[in-house]
Amino acid sequence: MSLIPVLVKREFTSRVKGPAYIITTILGVVVFIALSFLPPLMERISQSLLPAEIELVVFEQPGEPSILPYLQQAGDEREGFSVYADPDLSESDAYRMVLEQGLSGLLLVDGPLYTLVTPDASNIMVNDEVENILNLAVSRRNAVRLGLSDEDMASLFRPVDLRVREISPLGEDGEELDSAAHTQSMVLAYFLLFMIYMALIMYGNMVASGVAEEKSSRIMEVMVSTVRPVELMLGKIIGVGSLGLLQYFIWIGTGLVMNSMGRAGAIAALLGSSGQLSSIPLDIVMWFGLYFILGYFFYASIFAAAGALVSRVEEVSQVVSIIMMLIIVGFFAAYISFLNPNSTLAVVTSLVPFTAPMVMFARIVLGSPGLIEVIASVLIMLVSVFLGAWFSGKIYSIGILLYGKRPTLRQVIRLVRN
Amino acid sequence: MSLVAAQITKRFRDVTAVDDLSFTVHRGSLFGFLGPNGAGKTTTMRVVLNIIRPDEGQVTWNGTPINRLGRGFFGYLPEERGLYPKMRVAEHLEFLGRIHGLDKRKARIETERWIERFELGDLRQKRIEELSKGNQQKVQTIGTMLHDPELLILDEPFSGLDPVNTALLKEVLVEAHQRGKTIIFSSHRMDQVEEICEDIALIDHGRLVLHGNLRQIKRSMGRQILRISLEGDQGFWAKLPGLELLSSRADYQEFRLGERVDPNHVLREAMRAGQVIHFELVEPSLDQIFVEKVGGQR
Repeated sequence: MSLIPVLVKREFTSRVKGPAYIITTILGVVVFIALSFLPPLMERISQSLLPAEIELVVFEQPGEPSILPYLQQAGDEREGFSVYADPDLSESDAYRMVLEQGLSGLLLVDGPLYTLVTPDASNIMVNDEVENILNLAVSRRNAVRLGLSDEDMASLFRPVDLRVREISPLGEDGEELDSAAHTQSMVLAYFLLFMIYMALIMYGNMVASGVAEEKSSRIMEVMVSTVRPVELMLGKIIGVGSLGLLQYFIWIGTGLVMNSMGRAGAIAALLGSSGQLSSIPLDIVMWFGLYFILGYFFYASIFAAAGALVSRVEEVSQVVSIIMMLIIVGFFAAYISFLNPNSTLAVVTSLVPFTAPMVMFARIVLGSPGLIEVIASVLIMLVSVFLGAWFSGKIYSIGILLYGKRPTLRQVIRLVRN
Repeated sequence: MSLVAAQITKRFRDVTAVDDLSFTVHRGSLFGFLGPNGAGKTTTMRVVLNIIRPDEGQVTWNGTPINRLGRGFFGYLPEERGLYPKMRVAEHLEFLGRIHGLDKRKARIETERWIERFELGDLRQKRIEELSKGNQQKVQTIGTMLHDPELLILDEPFSGLDPVNTALLKEVLVEAHQRGKTIIFSSHRMDQVEEICEDIALIDHGRLVLHGNLRQIKRSMGRQILRISLEGDQGFWAKLPGLELLSSRADYQEFRLGERVDPNHVLREAMRAGQVIHFELVEPSLDQIFVEKVGGQR
């Protein structure tokens, strides 16, 4: 009978109660909750930043037809906006008036030149709002001057509605791409990608330092007298991996609960807003799980081998840095793939085992890679997981009884060959 | 029925740690495995335990290669002690029982029994890292015996134990021995080996120097050691040829007799020098054999 379950259980129970694990799990839950609150929350925040009242004093140089009536018209349409103009007022009086009465600012109009003089120039919200209103007022004045009707104006400024539709070689009708949904899936993909990246690094390091701890505490020698090294390695990898999976289920579970609450309108009601919630589609969750597991098992065995090559826990960071570089490369490749999920770079890196877990996942969330590509990447990953475990198992078996100076890469390869 | 190591050689790059080593450990015997530091004891033990594979030779138990023996056949206490520092005593012992092939229930029962026996009851819920070195060693020693292995291999089992626990461990080992278990242990303390071992192997530079029944080995060395207690001129021996002073204690002096020296002649000389209180020809102690066999070459 294999001892792997016994080893996995020990690994799991000895870590699951640890403060590091509990803290990261809770932090993740908080992040997921915060994320689903984010869109309505952002709406609330942007609303609260905009001042209710914008009061302007207008100081106009004579010449062009006055902008004032158009500004006043805009003031009637937008709540809280008012303009004040007095031809008898000097410029310095106008300044004083703004400061003494706490107005939003003084608008200097000199031909095509508009200057907003304000006590708080850094309040971008006010500046933007004044610019919007001014734009509207100026274009209305121009319309009158050009003799355009309101309908002409509306047709002139109507935004183009570009619809994007993907054609597929199978001749099916492509789904229409919803650009809002696309942005949302970008955000989601980025976030989930970051989670895979973090999990690979975090749990990989946990495996490597776990192996180094067993070596430095010398429990290893007792273990290998009764357990085969490969079993020992798999026990550790699966044990740590099950911690990762548990965390993943807790986090995704939180996300899904928040989703259904959002769909039921509970969160929006809570925040008194009608804002849309970000939602996590179930199929994306499944892909995330699959690529997390494949990526983890591939990298974990390499991390285990690295941990077996050092004698003390302090040396772990030196040997794992190379592996971490590979993960970082994968992360950046995935990040670049965001811009064009079907570029050559994206296609190639989604088939290389070191980068595939991140790049292929990003491509699945964003674009629609061919079914064959997806199957190929999963198969390549599966084979790589087994090859990686086999090769790492060899290094691991040799490394765990090696103490003293860390062997060089060449020595390791020679040892494995023997 | 015995453990047979046949012509084992193990090289690490250019160092030959074990060199064509052969020895036999009879089933049910208490076997002392001796040698100076760096003689290759640990490597040999690892080969016997199938932790490392020898370059040449093989180890068998009743003709079966050791890698085909089931889990739980061995109990191993390495010289470098180690446990999982964060685990609790009872939990750790159960874990050790499980990895040596005990089922859950049996592992729990045995853990309780041994905790009782080694008086660790108050510590059962303590973390290993909170324990004293001596208590950690107790836990680890229990961990090697919990599953009642056929063959116990203990590297320096007594180092770090106080006299009370040393006595307790000896008692446990003798008990296992009486139940027919085979025990191999190494020690630097020759008096302890002499006290419990029947058979020994002495190795040096990876080679076998002495091997066999301890009593026979001693007998074969001959009664060459002379113990004299004398009231009078302690320096009388200086003019006698063939006498080598081994130790000079308050109660007696010990000499090695040269090959052609007649003990009776020494006795006569001693009587002339003063009042002889004690005169005895004794077998060499294991300590002396050890020093004689491996000491001279260093």
